[in-house]
Amino acid sequence: MELTKNLSWSKARDILKDWRENNQRRSVEVVEIWETVLASKIHKLGDDRFVLLEQVSIAALDCNRIDVAASCIHTLIKEFPNSLRVRSLIVMKLEAQERYDEALDHLDTIIKLDESNTTARKRKICILKAKNKIPEAIKELTEYLKKFMTDQETWQELCDLYLAEGDYSKAAFCMEELFLHHPHNHLLHQRYADILYTMGGPEQLELATSHYLMAINLNAKNIRALYGLLLTSQQLQNSAKTTSNKKKEASKRVVWVSKRLKQLYQEATGNTESLNELMGSLQVS
Amino acid sequence: MGSTGFHKVVFIIGICFLVHAAVSAAQRKLTEQEFTSLSLDIVVQGILSLIACMYAIIYMAGDLKEIRATEELENKSWETLRNIPSYYIFSHRGRTLSPAYDPTSVGKSLIDE
Repeated sequence: MELTKNLSWSKARDILKDWRENNQRRSVEVVEIWETVLASKIHKLGDDRFVLLEQVSIAALDCNRIDVAASCIHTLIKEFPNSLRVRSLIVMKLEAQERYDEALDHLDTIIKLDESNTTARKRKICILKAKNKIPEAIKELTEYLKKFMTDQETWQELCDLYLAEGDYSKAAFCMEELFLHHPHNHLLHQRYADILYTMGGPEQLELATSHYLMAINLNAKNIRALYGLLLTSQQLQNSAKTTSNKKKEASKRVVWVSKRLKQLYQEATGNTESLNELMGSLQVS
Repeated sequence: MGSTGFHKVVFIIGICFLVHAAVSAAQRKLTEQEFTSLSLDIVVQGILSLIACMYAIIYMAGDLKEIRATEELENKSWETLRNIPSYYIFSHRGRTLSPAYDPTSVGKSLIDE
């Protein structure tokens, strides 16, 4: 309730736009802003209102507020009776109500009408996912990727599903595919290194180290990558399989990273006392 | 690089000369019967005043920023990057918090199979 206090409609519109463009989920807040501020001011929004209605209906479905979603979708249907995009919103509503068979019927007609409609194909995969049929969803995703190879979202989704199944090497492959598209994205390097670190083993740890370093190189303030580098280097340092040369390098990195983390922590909080304690408990034995 | 009084003066003088050059060129075109080309002094005045304006405005426009490939990604977190709207599923535990949630109406599709 804090959020919507004294919120003007133009401010609310800007907040929702920001969330929409930055892919923030925040469904509860979206619905709250909609109900308290924007619902009565919808006519003031001009052509923006349609995207906004779409955003609100998805958010409402996400918090199981079928009533809110239904009224938004209803407005959209009146405006665009033949739009496939609105139709996939109807499908999402059916999904939220767990009427999966009806949803699938709709999706099949959409795909028949428009072969290249990726949203409908993605929704079909989501239905499998919602039914917790992860292996089937993975199979469908690989089929999808054979047709639409450059769809980065799907590579990412496939990566997440492989992780859910514990298939780390395949998840790592998906990540590799992703940073071929975005070599300058530090988060992808960090994520890839996280996966490799989870896999364990000397070779993977070496590779994880270089990707953590790459992430730090691209963004010096990536704390997670710094901690990742600290942990991988500590493991390499303590492992019996590493050569003495590499051990020396690893311990150098440990010293450097600890110093850097302390410095960043100091900048943020002003003291490092508690960090020392926390660092001690970080060790994986 | 802060803007100083000197740069502001240079800018104002530059603009004045530039406008003057333009006005005299227009005048010449109106008065001369057979207009062929601009005289050298107007051309030189125009170019010099333009250079002066450019020089001053670089200093007045404020500090220049470094262009970095990762600038926009710097403040993003994995949480926003991993969130993919096309792959949302709605049958998650969060829905039980909704006032409209009816525990008897959902979950049937899973039990039926």
